[in-house]
Amino acid sequence: MRTQIAVALLACAFALPVSALTDAEAQALLQIQDDRQNSVGDYQALAFIERKEKDKNDQVYEAVVYRRDVTEKLVILFLRPKEEAGKGYLRVDKNMFFYDPTVGKWERRTERDKIGGTDSRRQDFDRSRLAQDFVAKWVGEEKLGKLATHHLELKAKPDADVAFPIMHLWIEKGTNNLLKRQEFALSGRLMRTQFFPKWMKVMSPVKKAEVWVPKEQRIFDEVEKGNQTTVVIRSVDLSPLDDSYFTKAWLESKSR
Amino acid sequence: MGIYVKVALRNLVQARRRSLLLSLALALVTMLLVFLMALSQGLTDNMVKTATTLSAGHLNVNGWFKPSPGFSAPLITEAAELRKVVEEVTPGLDFVIDRHHGWGKLISDTSSIVSSLNGIDPAQEGRFLERIQLAPEREYKEGGGDAVEGDRSRIGQPGTILLFAGQAKRLGVAVGDTITITTETLRGAANSIDLTVAAVARDLGMMSNWFTFVPKQAIQEIYQLKDDTTGSLLVYLKDIREAEATRVKLGEALATRGYTVMDHENEPFFMKFEKLAGESWTGQRVDVTTWEDEGAFLKWTIAGFNGVSVFLIAVLMLIIVVGIMNTMWMSVRERTSEVGTLRAIGMKKRRVLLLFVTEAILLGLFATGVGSLLGGALASALDAAAIPIPWDAARVIMLSDTLHLAVDAGQLVRAILLFTFVTGVAALWPAARAARMRPVNAIQHVG
Repeated sequence: MRTQIAVALLACAFALPVSALTDAEAQALLQIQDDRQNSVGDYQALAFIERKEKDKNDQVYEAVVYRRDVTEKLVILFLRPKEEAGKGYLRVDKNMFFYDPTVGKWERRTERDKIGGTDSRRQDFDRSRLAQDFVAKWVGEEKLGKLATHHLELKAKPDADVAFPIMHLWIEKGTNNLLKRQEFALSGRLMRTQFFPKWMKVMSPVKKAEVWVPKEQRIFDEVEKGNQTTVVIRSVDLSPLDDSYFTKAWLESKSR
Repeated sequence: MGIYVKVALRNLVQARRRSLLLSLALALVTMLLVFLMALSQGLTDNMVKTATTLSAGHLNVNGWFKPSPGFSAPLITEAAELRKVVEEVTPGLDFVIDRHHGWGKLISDTSSIVSSLNGIDPAQEGRFLERIQLAPEREYKEGGGDAVEGDRSRIGQPGTILLFAGQAKRLGVAVGDTITITTETLRGAANSIDLTVAAVARDLGMMSNWFTFVPKQAIQEIYQLKDDTTGSLLVYLKDIREAEATRVKLGEALATRGYTVMDHENEPFFMKFEKLAGESWTGQRVDVTTWEDEGAFLKWTIAGFNGVSVFLIAVLMLIIVVGIMNTMWMSVRERTSEVGTLRAIGMKKRRVLLLFVTEAILLGLFATGVGSLLGGALASALDAAAIPIPWDAARVIMLSDTLHLAVDAGQLVRAILLFTFVTGVAALWPAARAARMRPVNAIQHVG
């Protein structure tokens, strides 16, 4: 229903001779992003994370991601390389835990923690909560390469628990694909730039609609120039998952 | 008693070659013991200096604030009020300062490190500013000269940061360069601040790898803190030796004033984050620690060093004990007929024993006295030379970038007493055998 309202609002906006979006329309566009990416049911995917850092060897991780968006549960289990295998994150409600099988200990982490020491964060694997956490404002129409985009500025709501309180999004006109995201610190400093060059659609039996998944994300560290992370998502499966996946015991059992 | 000393001295002089060799061995081991004790004391001094300069007062009132059960921050809210109470109730107080705590990533154009951020008010930090030494450029810059860049008076001023030489080297920055610090506010939002390197200080052992100093306003800004907050109150006493006793009194006094004081644990504040995050309480608590608690993680260095020293000295002492016993056996054997004569004219067994033990003790006293003095002189000379330690690993272990040895008269006396005692004990068995000999057999003995 929300999607339909948002689409209707957008249709009205595009019908106007001036394509500026009102705050409500900008917020609706944000809601569209959330709705099209959220699967309602469970989610499972393989993630390949490639980290490039200055003066260091490139590192590639393979992980499996399990999500249950209804109950806000998330598991990221590392499969490769061998020395990282068995390490994992578990989010239950607002608590994020990290498990390291080499020491057999759980550590409490913040939701904003970097995943596996890369520039990727929990939000890059989790369901989209943009409309819930941010207030959007239309900045203008901009070209991103050949593509025409809406440029939105997002500011975190006062009670939102987010890593970056200011964001800028570039959303392709027509397709509504998110193409670029820039994240800023409270001080206003640009921290990360993220590109979404490829999206894929997966049919969700629960949602009875297609779910949009960013097939590839390229994340550039804007403070430590030269550091970048690429996240590639494969083998997305939206079938129901067993409850046991979202427990500490399950994550621990994977390293035995 | 005098006669025993005379006889013992005569015997030592008679067997002068043997006595000299044994004395030399004893003196060398004593010298080594004194040297190692001076090194250990130097390490302890470095630890006190490093801890009380960089991270702690003689006592520390650390604040812990938990807005939610799962999150703990090193923060004192209503800092002025707590400071007033601490100033009122601390016995033997010299002065109190306060510092903010933070943890962030320091990023230069070429590199990055993570470091503990200490927010200071230069007006309160006379002791700190007096103790740190600015580093010549060559210590952190490739091809740098002996010139000391930077301005001590700018340390702690708004928009500045003080780095240590090792950090500046790793970041590839010099005085005047800009560094970006990134961290998260208490609400978890990313934040950053740009600061200019006001000065680069000489390293203070391994701790200075993790400590940087910024103005208090920088910590308040980056963490979005109110003015009346701080991280810790650093309490300096007139006598540091009273720290432990005063900690107990201060904790009790704060509890009676309505503060919730945490149970004492012998570890620095930064090792308590995880444990506290697992506790269910929320609100403000205070933790009273001593400088030793805050530097507890450094004690392994001293404990390890002392362990190796004790082992080394024990092995050498065993060798010396064997040497002394052997010497005494030879002495007893050479003087068996003399012992027989002395026993025949009425000397008691106990006195014979005393005669030989006195000989060993005199030897020990002389040798260890010389060894102690030489060891003390050598240690003092090396300390005065302030020899730079060239290896990073050694600097980490020694908690300093120059060799520091601390000698005091007590150490020398302890070394002399210990080895003299050991020498006397080592002589007991041969002396007892000499005392137990039957006079008739001893007189007939042909050496």
